[in-house]
Amino acid sequence: MTPVITPIMLGQVIVSGLLAGALYAMVALGLGLIFGVMRVLNVAHGPLLMLGAYVTYWLFSTLGLNPYLSLLVSMPVVFLIGVALQRFLVRRVVDAPELSSLLLTFGISIALVNLAQLAFTSDLRSVEFITGSFLIGPFAFSKSRVIACLFAGGITALAFLFLQKTRLGKAIRAVSQSREVAQVCGINVQRIHLFAFGLASALAAAGGTLVTVMVAIQPEMGAVYTFKSFLVIVLGGAGNYPGALLGGLLLGLVEQLASLFLTTQVNEAVAYVLLVLVLLLRPTGLLGGRST
Amino acid sequence: MTTTTKRIFYQGGAVLTALIAALTLGAGAALAQAPIKIGASISLTGTYAKPGTYQKEGYELCAQEANDKGGVLGRKVEFVVYDDQSTPATGVRLYEKLITEDKVDAVMGPYSSPITEAVANVSEKYKKVMVSPLASTTSIFKKGRKYIFMVISPAEVYLEGLVDMAAKRGLKTIAIVNEDTLFTKSSAIGVADLAKKRGMQIVLQEAYPKGNTDFSALLTKLKAANPDVIAASTYFDDAVALTRQMKELNVNPKMYGVTVGGDLPEFYDLLKQNSEYIYGATQWEHTLPYPGQKEFMAAYQTKFKREPAYHSAAGYAGCVIYLEAVKKAGSLDADKVREQLLKLETRTMFGDYKVDADGFQVAHKMVMFQWQDGKKVTVWPDEFATGKARYPTPPWNQR
Amino acid sequence: MNWNLGEALRRWARWFRPGLGVLLVLLILYPLWGTGYGVRVLLQLFMWIALAQSWNLISGLTGYVSFGHVAFFGMGAYTAGILVTQGVLWPLAALAGGAMAVILAFVIGWPCLRLKGPYFAIAMLGLNEVLRVAASYFEGLTGGGLGLSLPTLDASVRVYYAMGVVAAAVTVLTHAIVTSRFGLRLMTIREDEVAAEAMGIDTFRYKIYAFLLSAAAPGIVGGLAARDMGYIEPVSVFPLVTTITMIVMVLFGGKGTIWGPVLGAVILFGFQELVWAHFPHAHQVLLGAIIITVVLAMPRGILGVLQQKYNLPRTI
Repeated sequence: MTPVITPIMLGQVIVSGLLAGALYAMVALGLGLIFGVMRVLNVAHGPLLMLGAYVTYWLFSTLGLNPYLSLLVSMPVVFLIGVALQRFLVRRVVDAPELSSLLLTFGISIALVNLAQLAFTSDLRSVEFITGSFLIGPFAFSKSRVIACLFAGGITALAFLFLQKTRLGKAIRAVSQSREVAQVCGINVQRIHLFAFGLASALAAAGGTLVTVMVAIQPEMGAVYTFKSFLVIVLGGAGNYPGALLGGLLLGLVEQLASLFLTTQVNEAVAYVLLVLVLLLRPTGLLGGRST
Repeated sequence: MTTTTKRIFYQGGAVLTALIAALTLGAGAALAQAPIKIGASISLTGTYAKPGTYQKEGYELCAQEANDKGGVLGRKVEFVVYDDQSTPATGVRLYEKLITEDKVDAVMGPYSSPITEAVANVSEKYKKVMVSPLASTTSIFKKGRKYIFMVISPAEVYLEGLVDMAAKRGLKTIAIVNEDTLFTKSSAIGVADLAKKRGMQIVLQEAYPKGNTDFSALLTKLKAANPDVIAASTYFDDAVALTRQMKELNVNPKMYGVTVGGDLPEFYDLLKQNSEYIYGATQWEHTLPYPGQKEFMAAYQTKFKREPAYHSAAGYAGCVIYLEAVKKAGSLDADKVREQLLKLETRTMFGDYKVDADGFQVAHKMVMFQWQDGKKVTVWPDEFATGKARYPTPPWNQR
Repeated sequence: MNWNLGEALRRWARWFRPGLGVLLVLLILYPLWGTGYGVRVLLQLFMWIALAQSWNLISGLTGYVSFGHVAFFGMGAYTAGILVTQGVLWPLAALAGGAMAVILAFVIGWPCLRLKGPYFAIAMLGLNEVLRVAASYFEGLTGGGLGLSLPTLDASVRVYYAMGVVAAAVTVLTHAIVTSRFGLRLMTIREDEVAAEAMGIDTFRYKIYAFLLSAAAPGIVGGLAARDMGYIEPVSVFPLVTTITMIVMVLFGGKGTIWGPVLGAVILFGFQELVWAHFPHAHQVLLGAIIITVVLAMPRGILGVLQQKYNLPRTI
């Protein structure tokens, strides 16, 4: 019953997978930052993405603002929300055992999702802005996905440049490697934590903004991205920032290829089986991350 | 009189008065009949809060109207509704509570099929009638249960119209995609059966997990299979995503239909011109020529200040049907009411009602519409059609 | 009022055993005069007690956070469900569910218990999702997205007793472990695994034992719950929120104690049924708030705090 798979189909699917993967990579980078810098597993990452999506939605529906321009608003707004969350709540579980951070962020995530349900209702919304695709030869690439990939790639590249070249970025990496030594070097670790959480939230929000033109916006939309981000982090190596990029692309590819060669029904399962395999065979991730 | 005697006199008098008062009031209460209590648990919070709330509004309107007309069997109708948070375990507890503690006379079903399946065991255990206005899964009604009654059409026939129209036009190949959950899966299985019966060839049948947003690979396969018809058993966001991506990947079937979600005004809001030519199925439209539609619409608008969704209509109809059966039975006794519900054949503002010996709905018809110029035009079945289907669906790049 | 809580607790402790005995007798006799609703409520409460106690066995005692513990519940539910539809009697099916859960724990625990903290948590979460998707995929066996329907049977009261027995058994087991050397070793692993290894404790072996023990009860109650509901589907037996609820109950009552999970389960479940049900819209936000409060303000739980402050014995 499954049609024969031609090279064109394969090419189409591979590119689709990479396009999706870029988005996963950007969002997962945020999660990786939080884990790398603070050893916190942030289950509330998805809801942060959701908040970014809603900011974009409201700007679009009330002001008609171009969703891609709204990145300039959604990212800072959620950055601040992230900083607030860190300052008042997450800070207290920074060095605690993982149970505390998992539970706390889960509690935050429930609270955020339900507050969103009360404020926005569960009505499905979407931003109708760009449809159609770029046709290149026999391939068709969804315009919104290509643009999302470009933005995600750009933002991720900027994030990497930031981490590599700026003082603040280097300070973040220093704290990721060793908090004590960073402190001894005079780095204000508290402020780094605040900033890192804010930055991570902004990355999630960017993901939310970019998907508003593709998927339905509703309070629970973030959950699937939380899971995927965890997958990516494990695949690439926790605390390994380039690993998040590789992991994201890999996840996107695996999902689409599984869908093509097997059935779409199992693309979730394949991703999780991959997760468990990586954890068992190479728990520090494909590119190697922290082992503790 | 001495002080002691006075005291006894007054105290005794007080007690006696109290006793008489209690007896009269009690007797009075017994004479003023207790209301008919109907219990239900619905998703009032969480993801299904909206359709759940609509369902509840349907109940409320029905009860209000019945009471305005003097009640049923001389008694007022009262609903006892709890929130089951869309969890079967909670639903089961609540139905036990409704039946064993709140002592309701009958129950109405909850919002989703999985919860209905679980709580149906409870209503059967206590032999209480349960009219289930929004459960569309056939298996619930085919387990030998005696006290459960279905109102809407089953999932399996949701896209019957699509298959019928396609077969009549001589189309030969069909692809079926569905979300991998109870309702959508049942619907897909139904479509497959209907298609095979009409001699169509199923070139691809695939499910996708709930929450899937990227259909590129699936659509790539669909495009390669090149079916005449694509039948998609969906909910709302997957219907929207699938449609958008169909356009992006230039997948052009001659007919394309979706299930739940295609009928919502939001579907058009989100897709605009891209929703043109898409077929959808609905249990109820207020434009259908059923008796009492206008009155229902007006009453609902007055009470809730907006137009009803089909969930409200179904809830309302379920309640109306139950009360109708009670009137015919002349009593609230579950077995007597049950007999009436089995015999009853009627057409309400929601459509036809007739059940088989299992309580399974056999008369209510799904209606298929097509989006044309931003409006839903009923195209099937012929007796309700208000327009002709625009066929074939032109390729995306020619619209 | 001059009132020393510690003193008061110690005095009341004398009434604890007889009080418990009376309570047990009342619970055993309850179905004779209770409503169907009451029986169902208590039955589900016993289930939560069993689940919370089991989570406590692995995570409370060894500190390894099993973030996908509901996987064992779901495994038990599906095993028992499938067996019952094949004609096996439900008590046996439930026990089989427990057995399958233990086997699963062994298969998963062997590789995963070598992982460090956060990785173990994520691995368990991944396991849970894999099982859920597997249940959807192997439709021939499990009914897939359609779910699995058991033949109708009103066994509420019998399931009530069965759940009660499991809850009691797990509590007794926890007591036995906490007061034994085995338990002491587990807690040593929790406090400092490296030191434990250095002392010569084969930490891996003990972790596996604890993990296997912690999977049995969820498997059995999963099977019992399947019988009680009469219908299971992947989404409702593998939800993350069940794991979270288990965890919060244990944390609230006191991680690593014997009665902590019982206390947590009773209070939280009671609240849900009696109070929050009347404020549906506040319910979920309250849950989030409770979780945050428990984690930040009382990570040791009620009994944990009391234990520390008033030097109560380890065996509460």
